[in-house]
Amino acid sequence: MTWFIFAGDMLVMAFMAALAVWVLWGGSSEAVDEAARIPLQDELDGMKDDPGDG
Amino acid sequence: MADRTSGERYHDRVASWLTAFAMAWSIVGMLAGVYVAAELVWPTIDFGREWLSYGRLRTLHTNAVIFGFGVSALMGTAFYSVQRTCHVPLFAPRLAWFCALAWQVGVLAGGISLLAGWNGGKEYAELEWPFDIAITVVWVCFAIVFFGTIARRRIKPIYVSNWFYGGLIIVIAMLHLVNSLAIPVTLSKSYSLFAGAQDAIVQWWYGHNAVGFLLTGGFLGMLYYFLPKHAGRPIWSYRLSIVAFWAFTYSYIWAGPHHLHYNAVPEWVQSLGMVMSLVLLAPSWATMVNGVMTVAGAWQKLRTDPALKFIVLSLAFYGLATFEGPMMSIKSVNVVSHFTDWTIGHVHSGALGWNAMITFGAFYFLVPRLVGASLYSVRLANIHFWLALAGTMLYVLAMWGAGVSQGLLWLSLDEIGELSFSFKDIMASMAPYYALRLVAGIIFLAGALLMAFNLAMTGKGRRTVAASPPAVGVEGP
Repeated sequence: MTWFIFAGDMLVMAFMAALAVWVLWGGSSEAVDEAARIPLQDELDGMKDDPGDG
Repeated sequence: MADRTSGERYHDRVASWLTAFAMAWSIVGMLAGVYVAAELVWPTIDFGREWLSYGRLRTLHTNAVIFGFGVSALMGTAFYSVQRTCHVPLFAPRLAWFCALAWQVGVLAGGISLLAGWNGGKEYAELEWPFDIAITVVWVCFAIVFFGTIARRRIKPIYVSNWFYGGLIIVIAMLHLVNSLAIPVTLSKSYSLFAGAQDAIVQWWYGHNAVGFLLTGGFLGMLYYFLPKHAGRPIWSYRLSIVAFWAFTYSYIWAGPHHLHYNAVPEWVQSLGMVMSLVLLAPSWATMVNGVMTVAGAWQKLRTDPALKFIVLSLAFYGLATFEGPMMSIKSVNVVSHFTDWTIGHVHSGALGWNAMITFGAFYFLVPRLVGASLYSVRLANIHFWLALAGTMLYVLAMWGAGVSQGLLWLSLDEIGELSFSFKDIMASMAPYYALRLVAGIIFLAGALLMAFNLAMTGKGRRTVAASPPAVGVEGP
């Protein structure tokens, strides 16, 4: 069982390492920057910041 | 470049109602919490009535705040943000309304059943089998609306908040289905399919990952959407947020056995739970650093934006709770902290400091936009901020004091190796801490009541408002 768990852990770690490499090297910086800006460009109309006081 | 269908509007009314329901449940849940805290100071105030007893009101407290307040807030913010981050209106909006309303009916009926004494006996999964089936139906509908919206998105990347909301929906479904497996005996009673140590392992696989994927992952989805909106700038490192999501998902699912240290489960299971809890520090703090660095260029907004104050404070408590949790999972620390009020302090530094604060921050942003009116009072929101901070700090400090005292006194032996203090003596010494906890709860509840008033008054200034998807889409990485 110990070896089974160890092998499973190593598979998980291998996946994480591969994912980190893929995310860091995959995709252009411009595309990543565009994705990061999604919440800032998500509607045509709606309220602007206008805090009031009652 | 994405195409555009003219005249489409986001479906925001369902998010408005879910926000209102969440606020109502927060008051109910916190009120029940304050009452059970008072019962620990004055044990006779249950007046001999079973439905007012600690055991029943405490489960009402946890169910109302987690499933009433927490899930309603998550559902509302998920419906609000998934449309915007996909540039399309909600998929199956009528199903979204069904989710929103059926969930409220379920939480209300479930709460009444808990007061009536129906209880499956599993922590954070106390509701009996008829409710388990109802939860499954609503959750599947939630998944259809959420993933249906993502499936027809007009932009290629799936924004990181949707990864966290999606993780919440999938993992909670898996946990709920397995942990709820039971044989019904009557309408109000069932017995778990699991027994003994297996039951304990399944329960804490469910329990800890419900904390992980609902109270942490789900609310991180909220953070990754509302923090950039508040700060007016994109997340500091988008790549780091994606790595943190996967690291979080793969680490968290193993961490549950740290609840079972020194119990009748295999030693290696306990150790594995501890190790994976320590690994969790990395994605948790990566997220916190990412959040703080996002705000770093917008500190001036903290002076004028009470909502941003709540979000920044929630990040601080997120960092604190996600450091404290792994430390408590270390077996030599756990020998002191286990079964003590330290655990209650840890849970509430997360629940009040992280979950409630980030939700308050999101609501102060969301409600004025949903109703098309300015926030009724920024001053009241600022007062709420200080009440929430004071209440949380007092609560956590009181429970840390109580918990460390309990743990050390329980371990104390006299010269012949017998316990130095009886359980009764130790409990009696807790009275000042429990009184402080009650005061802290009242302060926090007072802040939530101020917020409910402020947002209700904001709603009175409602005008018709509708937002549309933007014309330009985004090509993703």
